[in-house]
Amino acid sequence: MKELKFILRRIRETPLSIVGLAIVIFFTIVAIAAPALAPPRPGRDPYMIPRYGYSPIPKPPSPEHPFGLTQGQYDLYYGVIWGTRAAYRIGVLIIAVSALIGIIVGGLAGYYGRIIDEILMRVTDIIFAFPGLILAMALVVAFGPGLDSVTLAMILVWWPGYARLIRGEILRIRSEDFVEAAKAIGCSDLRIIVKHILPNAIYPLLIMASLDIGSVVLTVAALSFLGLGAPEGYADWGQLISLSRNWITGKPGEPFAYWYVYTIPGLFLFLFVMGWNLLGDALRDVMDPMIRRR
Amino acid sequence: MSASMRTYIIRRLLLIIPVLIGVTLLIFAITQLFSPVERASLYIRDPRQAKDLPSIIKKYGLDLPVYIQYFRWIDQVLHGNLGWSESTHMPVLKALITHFPATAELALYAAPLTIIIGILLGKLAAIKKDTAVDHATRIMAIIGWSLPSFWLGIMLLAIFYGGLGIFSPGRLSVWAENLVLSGEFKVYTGLYTIDAILNLNGAVLLDALSHLALPVTTLVTINIALLMRIMRSSMLEQLNKTYVIAARARGLKWKTVIDKHATKNALISVVTISGLLTAGMLSGMVITETVFEFKGIGYWAAHAATQLDIPAVLGFALFAGTIFVIANLIVDILYAYIDPRIRLG
Amino acid sequence: MFRGKARAVSKAVAAVIVAVIIAAAGIGVGLYMATQAKPTTVTTVVTTYTSAVTTSPTTTTPEKPPIKNPDTMIVATIGEPETLDPAWAYDTASGEVIFNIYNTLVFFDREHLDKFVPMIAEKVPSVENGLVKDNGLTIIFPIRKGIKTHAGGEITPEDVEYSFERAMIQDRDGGPVWMIFEPLLGVFSLTELGNISDPTEAAKVGKMIDDVVEVQGDNVVFHLAKPFPLMTFLQIWSQTWASIVDKECAVEHGAWDGSKDNWVEVFKKYHNPETPELQEVDCGSGPFMLEKWEHGKQVSLVRFDDYFQGPAKLKRAIIKKVDEWSTRKLMFLRGDADIVYVPTQYAEEIEGAPHIRVYKNLPQLSDMALFFTFEIDPESPYIGSGKLDGNGIPPDFFSDINVRKAFAYSFDWDTYIKDVWRGEALHIPGPIPKGLPYFNPDQETYNFNLTKAEEYFKKAWGGKVWEKGFYLELLYNIGNVQRKAAAEMLKENIESLNPKFKIYVRGVEWPTYLRAMVKAQLPAFIIGWLADYPDPHNFVHPYMHSKGTFAAWQHYKNPHVDELIEKGIRTTDPEERKKIYYELQKIYFEDCPSVMLYQPVGRHYERDWVQGWYYNPIYPGVYFYVLSKGY
Repeated sequence: MKELKFILRRIRETPLSIVGLAIVIFFTIVAIAAPALAPPRPGRDPYMIPRYGYSPIPKPPSPEHPFGLTQGQYDLYYGVIWGTRAAYRIGVLIIAVSALIGIIVGGLAGYYGRIIDEILMRVTDIIFAFPGLILAMALVVAFGPGLDSVTLAMILVWWPGYARLIRGEILRIRSEDFVEAAKAIGCSDLRIIVKHILPNAIYPLLIMASLDIGSVVLTVAALSFLGLGAPEGYADWGQLISLSRNWITGKPGEPFAYWYVYTIPGLFLFLFVMGWNLLGDALRDVMDPMIRRR
Repeated sequence: MSASMRTYIIRRLLLIIPVLIGVTLLIFAITQLFSPVERASLYIRDPRQAKDLPSIIKKYGLDLPVYIQYFRWIDQVLHGNLGWSESTHMPVLKALITHFPATAELALYAAPLTIIIGILLGKLAAIKKDTAVDHATRIMAIIGWSLPSFWLGIMLLAIFYGGLGIFSPGRLSVWAENLVLSGEFKVYTGLYTIDAILNLNGAVLLDALSHLALPVTTLVTINIALLMRIMRSSMLEQLNKTYVIAARARGLKWKTVIDKHATKNALISVVTISGLLTAGMLSGMVITETVFEFKGIGYWAAHAATQLDIPAVLGFALFAGTIFVIANLIVDILYAYIDPRIRLG
Repeated sequence: MFRGKARAVSKAVAAVIVAVIIAAAGIGVGLYMATQAKPTTVTTVVTTYTSAVTTSPTTTTPEKPPIKNPDTMIVATIGEPETLDPAWAYDTASGEVIFNIYNTLVFFDREHLDKFVPMIAEKVPSVENGLVKDNGLTIIFPIRKGIKTHAGGEITPEDVEYSFERAMIQDRDGGPVWMIFEPLLGVFSLTELGNISDPTEAAKVGKMIDDVVEVQGDNVVFHLAKPFPLMTFLQIWSQTWASIVDKECAVEHGAWDGSKDNWVEVFKKYHNPETPELQEVDCGSGPFMLEKWEHGKQVSLVRFDDYFQGPAKLKRAIIKKVDEWSTRKLMFLRGDADIVYVPTQYAEEIEGAPHIRVYKNLPQLSDMALFFTFEIDPESPYIGSGKLDGNGIPPDFFSDINVRKAFAYSFDWDTYIKDVWRGEALHIPGPIPKGLPYFNPDQETYNFNLTKAEEYFKKAWGGKVWEKGFYLELLYNIGNVQRKAAAEMLKENIESLNPKFKIYVRGVEWPTYLRAMVKAQLPAFIIGWLADYPDPHNFVHPYMHSKGTFAAWQHYKNPHVDELIEKGIRTTDPEERKKIYYELQKIYFEDCPSVMLYQPVGRHYERDWVQGWYYNPIYPGVYFYVLSKGY
């Protein structure tokens, strides 16, 4: 509670993070209200964008389709609205699972040390030996393209960061007095980890992890753009941007005839990532003194 | 070079091997989730070929146990054969060599520009701390960091290529490519700007540069943020150090103090993040080359990936992993040279 | 102090935000104005192409731009050759290069699919000229003398024999050589002839290959296993897999040296290799020579001055790989490319551009259908509960003809062809595409008729389908937008009939798709066939014969159909064959094993300075020998 107040105060003090917070709140509302903002057709998978015809040629914004129709007559407005929800869905899923794995593996390694620690460090070495996007790309190919594969691959690439963080925290906390005391009075290992160490180690991780959502969504979108993620017609910003690649030159005499096709989904993705980064930037500044304060 | 340094380098280089084995084994193991038929589909692009499915599975040993397949692959690699890239119809090694110059050319411009601009802006922000300049660079950093590189590329193309008709995708215009391929133009390095200089051909040089403009801008914009921020904070740290304050007190010119002492020391921390920068560049290459049809290794890898060309993807992972590990090694060594207090080990 | 900092920050933020808004507004206004810009008026030159009849195009544009690269023809297209080895190549991109640098014994006479001209052969064999004997079982090709090869030699009858034997030995998996095996040895692959790793059997197999093609003086003689329609034989022998290779050149590049002493070794080394020996080599004698293959960029060909029919008019021909449409478009509009590939969806973007000639309505020799699986794998994940309870379908769901007919009447061809193909596809009745011999234009076919669909759904499975409803998944492979659209349209129409009908359209990657087809897991699948050779047999076999590619996946078996198909390819009399194929087309309609969705018609775009082009649908690409540039 004290921390929360502190964070809120710091956010108030930095205008940029207010902008970030506003953007994040906006997207969160859009994601929650997606069924109201863009009602899906009953009985359909709401993440599949409805199409209004089959012609490949995009159609400009109109009263019925405020953002126009992209290649294949997919409604862009529906696509970006549900794309927000999809971004949150996949981002939260990846981060939650990665964090969970990170907590378990990092916790075991940090507390028990030795062999487990050694194995963990070697595994993370391997994963850190590759740029994230490239490893994720290779893994997606191995799993076979699709959103499920992207999710799995991203988790594989993402968890070691959290595991290392937790491990470091635990190493720090383990030597502190209260843990030594708990050991002395004969508490079981599990009890010590769950009751004493995790609550202290987990807090920084949760903040870090939730702020990672911007980068996760960006990487997932990149994979979709490369044609490895969401299939055509799925409400996914990266996929919508990749559909727009062919329309950058417009028609003879009208170079920007299809501007809505590439501008709109990209703007949504950009603002989403920026909102989270602005917030994260401010909060990371906060985190440091806070850790020091304790 | 000291003996300890040498053993350190050798040890680090040897460490590449388990890392590469680990990753390729992981990728290999995952591909086993597919049935042999699915893995054979790489060789069957047309239903007319489907009647030969069983013999293709046999030919490539796709139904063998995973460890045998992996040892076969390792054995191949040790014989200098990275396999056959079905999506580009050539051996993986040849594909890597063919596409390397384009990537090298992109990196040749993007990396130094990122470093120079990043350092300069970071320094400026530190010196002008809390002024509008500082905040503007901070916002620039946030924007650069948040911009999806593929979208930035598409927007740049839409404006400059679609709208203004300049800066087209690809590496050369048609006429220049015809000239380069005609044999009248000698290709020494495959880096067209350098070759153009060696051929004393200004037109090709300009053409190559105009094709580099947008992808380099994209790469620089995306990668500059981190560098700027690190430079700024380490510069600030230096400026608060006693020796700077003392130097100022002694009446040395502010500019000299910054240039001679603070900048030099601040650069050390920049060196430490060069590894991250390399990672950013490598990932950025895949996206940027794809958006701009710049036919380098990243373009090749992305296209191979969409066609599920697993040998090619494995080859690319080997390549990227090796580059990345070596880059990190160089960073460590540089770091040890710059700051002798650090002991490698 | 703190406040001051905050103020500076807010100022900067405000400044940046204002700047961003201004910039965004500026771009927005600019883009808006740009979209409002009036299109420039231009005159269009369009030639309508009706098969085999060329109307000479007239240009109304007064002034002509100067011809760029007058000696060089530049084609900008997508895709890249897999190989230049004629025995290996099965894709059109490889074929395009190969048929410009190699010669065959005979070749198609311009746009005709059933008339041939002699090339390396001096005459086209026929019964009348005595070169086809023994009821069509012996076919003789007299070899022309003095044909120079690119490597500096001359084509001899031995080269011809060598070329066919080498192809049969190589017979790579998924390759084209089965077309040579079928008439000559009555099998589809080398390994069907015997166990080639066993020395005695290998020697036997080797002898069989050796015996079917022989040099007799200046002639090369082929011995056929069974009667085979002569026209079909010549169609196969006119294409790239039957290219004549300069033996000396091939051997020099590591190909089989022609030795026949140790067949086990020969097969071990040269059968189904990892990579083709002539991968990037030109051992041909065609009108153009390979200059250079720049991987990922282009293949350049240069005129062969000693070509036996006289040198080509063009000095050079370049096939450029330009994946990106906007680049191709620009190259074309600026005249940097003479012939380009324009995907249907972008046709509008260059509609009306000046100095461009378009040939429309070129029927392609391929078609696409929706196939029903008669016995679905009960383990299939795509059939819901696996029972007719409203939540699935039984594995034999489509064995009821009423279900198949109901599906057929539910497809809206007009809308599909108009929207998805922008009108550039044909609604054909059966598997034989329009433009092939024995295509029956009067064959009755299915049309969009929801009343009839409802009627058949009500009849299906004794009324249970209508009463309980069903659930099934319709799959398409990702990246194929036309298949996706077909599946979605079918879903919409069928679901509109009865709220209990549920179809889920699912996209999967090609590997999954292929596996599911092979394992009969898909209730219904959409896939198409591209002609190997322009004979109806090449289509009825995969679509209808129980051993044909698609029918086998469907588990469709009709013994009468099998018999007819086998008879069709053993019959040499054209009138007899016509009857057989008409009968097959009729059965296809009545039995409805699959629903023919469309046959695409293509376009050909060229700069108006390109002269001499004609359309032969079986050509794998541009045949440069007949082309020139000028007005």
